[in-house]
Amino acid sequence: MIDCPEAVRRMWSYLERALESTPREELEAHLDTCTRCCGELEFNRHLREMVAAREGTAAIPADLQARIDGLLSGAAEGPTGGSGETEAPA
Amino acid sequence: METRRGAAANPPAAGPADRAVPRPAFTDIAREHLDRLYGFCVHLAGDRADADDLVQETLLRALRAYPELREPERAKGWLFAIATNAWRDQLRRRGRRVQTASLDALTEEDDAFSLFQTIAIEDPFPYSDELHLDFLRLFQDEDVQAVFGSINPAFRLPLILTVVHGFSCKEAAFVLDVPLGTILSRIHRGRKQLERGLWEYAVERGLVTKADEP
Repeated sequence: MIDCPEAVRRMWSYLERALESTPREELEAHLDTCTRCCGELEFNRHLREMVAAREGTAAIPADLQARIDGLLSGAAEGPTGGSGETEAPA
Repeated sequence: METRRGAAANPPAAGPADRAVPRPAFTDIAREHLDRLYGFCVHLAGDRADADDLVQETLLRALRAYPELREPERAKGWLFAIATNAWRDQLRRRGRRVQTASLDALTEEDDAFSLFQTIAIEDPFPYSDELHLDFLRLFQDEDVQAVFGSINPAFRLPLILTVVHGFSCKEAAFVLDVPLGTILSRIHRGRKQLERGLWEYAVERGLVTKADEP
């Protein structure tokens, strides 16, 4: 059985779904018996949601958007702007 | 660290590609991911002027390399990886060192810091039923951006990729061209800097009162 500090260390990897099966099962077994760590896991979930909501996309300036539109319009007329590489025939 | 050159590397495969699906046009892919790509370029470059150049350079490289992309459905990670390479190349051209993470281990004090526990102990909102959530509600967009900006970029970028842009750790490792174990370690260190940064920011700006303060 892992202890609370180890459970806390694994929480973000758990939320990333990056834990292998054994460490994940150990953490889940710990969470079954530890309300404090359940609270911290939930807090970390909210913390991540807050960061994701506040650090998302940046508005593209109008002049940059115009340059990109020009670049992509030119690309659409070029050889790779369409479907790109054709896959090798089966 | 030597990084891959060019932009032809392919993201980690999800499985066999469905050859029945027609290959989308590059312009459609670029437009689909443009907002997120630009946001990532702002994070990479740190200011809007450099980000403007970087996103255009990224699109030009991606356009040239698009025929090499085997799985267009994984284009987002591929575009982000090209942006990362383009940014590293820009830094080299300017003679600036590519910032890498210190290999120093986390200090015990840093590793032990828990924002959740600190909030519980300091109890900045004695009458709150949602103590921890109330703490997070203190932070406006500019506050989060200020704290995030204070995190070492080597640790911040993995957080940005996974938390903000929804990449898996494996995909983030591909984008930054580092091993998976390195990403996991950097996410942990970035998380610890974020937790400590949020608390110190709140204390310094008087958003919370510590238990030992009047």
